[in-house]
Amino acid sequence: MTRLYAYCVGDDLAAETVEGASGVAGSPLVLFRRGPLAVVASPFDGKAVPATRENVLEHSRVNGLVLARTTPLPFRFGTLVDERRLQEHLERNEAALLAALGRVRGCVEMGAKVIWDAAAQSEGGGESEDEGPASPASPRGAGTAFLLAKRRALEGAEALKGRAEELAALLAARLEGLARESSVEVNPAGSLVVRAAHLVARGREAEYRERLRALGREREDLRLMLSGPWPPYSFGPQRAERA
Amino acid sequence: MKKFPPDSPEPVEPEVETEHAAVFAEELRRAADALPERINVDAQSVEQGLAKLVLTLIELVRRLLEKQAVRRMEGGDLSPEQVEELGLALMKLEEKMGELKAQFGLEDEDLNLDLGPVGKLI
Repeated sequence: MTRLYAYCVGDDLAAETVEGASGVAGSPLVLFRRGPLAVVASPFDGKAVPATRENVLEHSRVNGLVLARTTPLPFRFGTLVDERRLQEHLERNEAALLAALGRVRGCVEMGAKVIWDAAAQSEGGGESEDEGPASPASPRGAGTAFLLAKRRALEGAEALKGRAEELAALLAARLEGLARESSVEVNPAGSLVVRAAHLVARGREAEYRERLRALGREREDLRLMLSGPWPPYSFGPQRAERA
Repeated sequence: MKKFPPDSPEPVEPEVETEHAAVFAEELRRAADALPERINVDAQSVEQGLAKLVLTLIELVRRLLEKQAVRRMEGGDLSPEQVEELGLALMKLEEKMGELKAQFGLEDEDLNLDLGPVGKLI
């Protein structure tokens, strides 16, 4: 059965944006319009779209084509729907989609990832060689030693969490006045400690990069990876519902 | 079929910038390796999945018990003997969990839970 592979949805998509262009599996791009919304899609035969390099790049390229003209809300890779389901989706979520499109209008998503050496970060982070007795008359047997070790581990984890949150705050401070919205995930237990996505006005991507490059030069303990511009994958309607 | 319509602006292509490409590539490879290429629905994998789920829940409770025990120890409302006894019980529980994980071929990271805004379990 032929279904539609959906790339993105917008409220100001023009037919000429996709006219004559192709998408995944070489199928022609079409605009599926319902009310004020339109979805960029292409017909697809099959149960699922294989997650091959070629297909992923094709998905990204089509969204990049639309992003060159306007800011849509991208669907995740591999979204296949039939026309009826797509129509229902657009009708049911029209208000939320329009609100999300309003929030991202004129913007692109930029990304920053930070890796740190968790072992180095935890040095001196609340651990001490001698905890002292659990209480004055502590027998310091195996059970007591076990709990004291757990206390050290918990203190270390708390200290690490605090440092990771400081780092996320530092990133936010550096992007003040530039990031319209942020989506930040902090994971102190991992080496990839911060994954951040920022909604940045078009034309200010270079400023975004420069501000974070400066941070990277100041903090040699951090390894930064910057990316973008992307369609706003991290700023869809679900995010507005959570907020 | 043309890739782009005539007279259209060039598609926006994201740029990736880092001075530590190898470190990030390794991190991404590790994340990708953790994902199964496909989900097998056979008796063994169902059993493994069930064991993983149950052990994850036990691990959650075990860690909560440990935190609670540390708090009580710090609060000073336990005698040294009670601290020792509680510590031994939790130590045995940790050992037992280790045995069960080994039996089902699970690592600590397999028992992690993404709790959304709260963070990860482990």
